[in-house]
Formats: sequence, structure tokens, C-alpha cells
Amino acid sequence: METYLGIDVGSISTKFVIINEKNEILHALYFRTEGNPINAVKKGLRILKKELPKNIQINGVGSTGSARQLTGIITGADIIKNEITAHAKGAAFFVPDVRTVIEIGGQDSKIIILENGVAVDFAMNLICAAGTGAFLDAQAFRLKIPIEKFGEIALKSKSPTPIGSRCTIFAESDMIHKQQIGHSVEDIVAGLCQGLVRNFLANIAKGKNIKSPIVFLGGVSENIGMRKAFEETLEEKIIIPKYNTVAGAFGVALIVKEKPPKKTKFFGFEVSEKDIRCTSFQCKGCPNQCEVLEARIEGEVIARWGDRCGKWSS
Amino acid sequence: MKYTFAYWGNYTIAIKTLLEKLGIDLIPPEKTSSKAIEEGSKIAPELYCFPLKVNIGNYLVAIKNGAEKVLMVENVGGSCRQRYYGIVQNKALKDAGYNIDVIVLKTSPKEIYSKIKEISGASLLQIWGAGRFAFKKLRLIEKLEKIANYLRPREKERGETSKFLRWALDKIDKVKDEKEFTKIKKEILGKISKIKIDRSKKLPRVGLIGEIYTVCDESINFGIEEKLAREGIEVHREMNLTYHLKKGIFPWKDWQIQKKIMPYLESTVGGHGRDAIYEMLHFAKEGFNGVIQLLPFGCMPETTVRPILEKIHQKTGVPFLSLSLDEQVAEVGLQTRIEAFAEVVNNHFIKYNK
Repeated sequence: METYLGIDVGSISTKFVIINEKNEILHALYFRTEGNPINAVKKGLRILKKELPKNIQINGVGSTGSARQLTGIITGADIIKNEITAHAKGAAFFVPDVRTVIEIGGQDSKIIILENGVAVDFAMNLICAAGTGAFLDAQAFRLKIPIEKFGEIALKSKSPTPIGSRCTIFAESDMIHKQQIGHSVEDIVAGLCQGLVRNFLANIAKGKNIKSPIVFLGGVSENIGMRKAFEETLEEKIIIPKYNTVAGAFGVALIVKEKPPKKTKFFGFEVSEKDIRCTSFQCKGCPNQCEVLEARIEGEVIARWGDRCGKWSS
Repeated sequence: MKYTFAYWGNYTIAIKTLLEKLGIDLIPPEKTSSKAIEEGSKIAPELYCFPLKVNIGNYLVAIKNGAEKVLMVENVGGSCRQRYYGIVQNKALKDAGYNIDVIVLKTSPKEIYSKIKEISGASLLQIWGAGRFAFKKLRLIEKLEKIANYLRPREKERGETSKFLRWALDKIDKVKDEKEFTKIKKEILGKISKIKIDRSKKLPRVGLIGEIYTVCDESINFGIEEKLAREGIEVHREMNLTYHLKKGIFPWKDWQIQKKIMPYLESTVGGHGRDAIYEMLHFAKEGFNGVIQLLPFGCMPETTVRPILEKIHQKTGVPFLSLSLDEQVAEVGLQTRIEAFAEVVNNHFIKYNK
């Protein structure tokens, strides 16, 4: 069977998607990166090798996510694409006439505006991670609620507690304060969801032309409380497609499939058994002092990158 | 007494020439490095705009190399916080225990003349000669930067243009004599036309607008022009040192700009705020496929006009990206945005220009 592999390695989670010639998802993986992208990639490849039928042939590999460069190099990906393009592609496949994509992941949140299936505008949080998954994760841990239950609990609330959410750190202290004066957990959780939505719309989506259909993707889209909060604030229906958490990986697999390489550069699933190391050093060649990265498989240098002048990377 | 000044992209070469020709004993600044930015940020006031921190970082390196005094050019009148740079930098350095004076040159011809005379003792003729030579160098540097932006996305061998530019700038930097310079100029312009490019390529065009310091210094903006070229984009930029100098000499340029931007902004907001609006309108009218605004974090004029630029983007449909730069911005985050923006620009190009 001819297939294409998309890998999305983000700050918090890693996603693998395998699609066939008909753009059907044969297999999708979603697990935590746990702060080690190399291990996460190896783990994903190991699982796929075990779970996929033997007759599968990979025709192309694409990588995306914040660790796309590294992932692309250690797996031999044919295409390395930014996560915005990948998500736009994925969303437009599920909802062809999509106009707005809201994607909230572990540490990134972004909005993408599309016209006729292509991105025409986007915004991404630059210096502040307020309102992203990592924050919800931390708060769930503090409240001793499993993150998967977060949305459910939020839905139970009748009168959400307003929580100041311009800054996550202050949101946290505000939340503690609200807890101490006796607000119920579900009201606080619902208030938090509303706060994050407000924050997203005020900071990231500011000045963007939000039009329906709106698609909500990323790990945080699993949280039905967030979806409800978005629907209430925007007064629009929010679509959460199937495979909402792996849309980036799916998107990049579609991109590879559209322009398939003659012969894939993929190293094969076996690379997961090999010793992969990544180190960095500072080039002293000029005042730029670029941080040069070096990847080795079984001790052999396969790539260097990160320099501006091309002294190491070429 | 050994003097130094703040590094500012390739224009540093021209400023260096000017001061050297005036007979000032100089410790020229080294190219801004991440280390210098880090050191400067440590002793600069946290909430001051980013260029001030970088300047201090440059001074610290120069002080280590033996500099004893700093020359700082400041704007006058209703500009922006740049007009307090000298005094704030002076205080930041003194507070950190450096016994060094920051000498302020206000940008009025009379004051510059008297200060320069005081520092260097140069005659009027010498000042004229130094100014002329420095200006010649500056014009050539700006010309090369422009040509490079055209060549880079079209070059057949990746990186050749930038490599050539580095070589040429080094040559311009080293030449001490005006006659020699004329020869070298000819050599450089001859050689640059020999860089092999694909002329038939029609490429998407992006205009670079925003705060002059960040727009013009590739050590601050992470080489954004090269990054865009690598994505196959032809970069245009109007802002350069000559543009700024011209505006200082001919005030009516500002009046013309004001007239053109009237529907969006009715007064000045300091710095080059009005220019950003004017340039974006111009690029949109010319059918560009995107506009990028660069600003240092804490830049008041550019932050003020950003919502206006967003509005122009909504109205005209020209893709727009605003990038705020400071010591905490990571290059990877910037790279992601540039790649995604390049995609949006390409979509625009395919829709309207193909």
C-alpha cells in the first residue's frame, strides 16, 4: 500500500499521521513530547512499525511543528513546513469553505484566515504564552482535575467566575484568590475558559477578520468548555472536526502527497533503533556568533544547521 | 581621547569614515552580537526601547577595546524617545560604574558643526571633505543593499550575493582615499553585475517598513532580507540613512507625506510613524504581495501606527505582518512567522500576478 507520513512535533505533544492515496487516515498517533523531541520521534516510529501492516510503503514524509527542522533531519523528511501552513491545509481538507482556523496547542496559539482554501492572513502569539494548553495543564494539575475532564466540569457551571486573564501568572493568583473566597471549582474552571478565550481574541485575533465557518484545532480544542466559551463570545458555531488534535500532521502529509518526491529520503522506521544525538556549538567565525546545531546518527554527522552564512549548513 | 559610537548595520562604515577623516581618534564599534545585546540589556533600563540597549552593548565592547568617550547623535523636536538616548545611556553607564561620557550631537547643522569643531578641531574645508567622502561611501552601500535585494532571490548559486556583499563592504570599509574609492566602486559595480541570476523569474514582492534602525541593521533583524530571499521573495525597502538625512534637510517631504496619509492619521506620532503608513499605502498601490513592519519592542511611534497598518491591510487585502524585536525574541519563532508569511505572500502572488 502506498502511503504518506506526516509528523508534527510540538512543545507539548507529538503527532504522527499516515494517509493513503485517497487521503484517508490509516493511523494517527498523539502522545506527549515530554521535553525530548528526538525520543518522541523515535517512539512514534517504533509504535508505527509495530502497529502497521508489513506491506506498507512510505512514498513521502513531511515534518511540521516547532521541532520541524530537527524532526525533518533525523527522519529524512522530504518536506519541512511551518505549522501554520500545515494546519491551514488540514483544516481546509475537513471543511473546504473554512474561513477561520483557531489553533491552540501546548505553547502556541494561532489564528489563520483563509479564502478559497488558502491562507491569506495569520497571527501567532509572539512573546506571551497566556491562554495556551500548557497553562490549562498546570491549572488542572493544581486543581487536581485530570485535564481530559476539564471541559466537562466547565460545562456544569451556571455562573462562571470572572478571572482576570491578561497574564497567565496573574490569572493564576486571581484564580487562587477566587478559590479562597469560596467559589466552586466548576465556576472557576468555566471562568478560566472564558478568560482564555477573551485573552485569545484580544491579543492574537485582534484586528483579524473572523468569519464563519470557524474551525477549532489543537490539543485545547478537546476541551468542550473552551469550545462553548468561543461559541458564546463569538456568537458563531465552532466546528471541531474529527482528528482535531492531529490536523497539523495530517496537513503536512497532504502537502507531501500533493507534490510527492520521486524517491523519498525517509530513513525508514529502523532509524528509531539507532543512536541519534544532537549537539550545538557557537561558531566564532564572525560577530554573528551563530548557534550551530549538529545531528549525528550512530556517530556520523548527517546535518548541521542554524548558521546564517551557510559555512556549516552547506 | 578615544571615541566610539553605536553600531548601525552597514552604515557604520560611512560614519566611521566621516569621523576618521575629521581626525578623531576612533575605536570603531564591532558588529552587534547576541553577547553585546545581552550585556547592554543587563545595565539598560528594562522598559526603554530596544535600540538603546543594543547601543549600550556596543559601547561596552568598545570600552573593553579602549574607548573613553561616546558620540551619540540625537534627534531634536517632536521625534521619539531617541532624543533622550544620550542622557539615559550616560546615566546607565555611570550607574554601572563606567567612567565614560556620552557626548550628544543634536541634529541641527549649527550644533553639529560647533560640536565637531570642538572635538576634532577640523577646519570647515576638512569637515566638508570628510562629509563628502562619507556620503559617497554611504550612497554606494545603500545602492549595493538595493541591488542585493534584487539579486538574492534570483541567484543561481545560493549565498553568492551575500558573500559578495560582505567582500564589497569590507573593501569599502578599508579604502582611505577618495581617488582609490572611485576605482574600487567601479570594480565592485562591475563584479556585482556578473553574479549569475535567473532574470526571467517573476517573483512576489514584499515591502519592508517600520522603524529605521531595525529595518536597516541585519544584525538586529536576524537578516530578514536574506530570510525572505531564501523563500523566493524580492524585498523592497525605502527606508535608509539617506532617506532620513534628506527628510532632515528638506522638511516639505514630511508635508507631502502628511497630505497622502490624511484619511488615516492627521498628525505626527513621532519617529517615522507617518512614513510607515505612507510606505504601506504606496506598496499596496504598487501591487506588492506583502508588507512587513519591523519595530523594536517599546517603539512608541511604530506601536501607535500598527493598528492603522492593520486597517490598511484589511482594506486593501495586501498581506501584512508586524514583527516586534527585542533581546528576548527567539530566531526560531521569527523563522516560523516568516515562513508562514511567505506562504501567504505566495498565495497572494498566485491569485493576482499569475
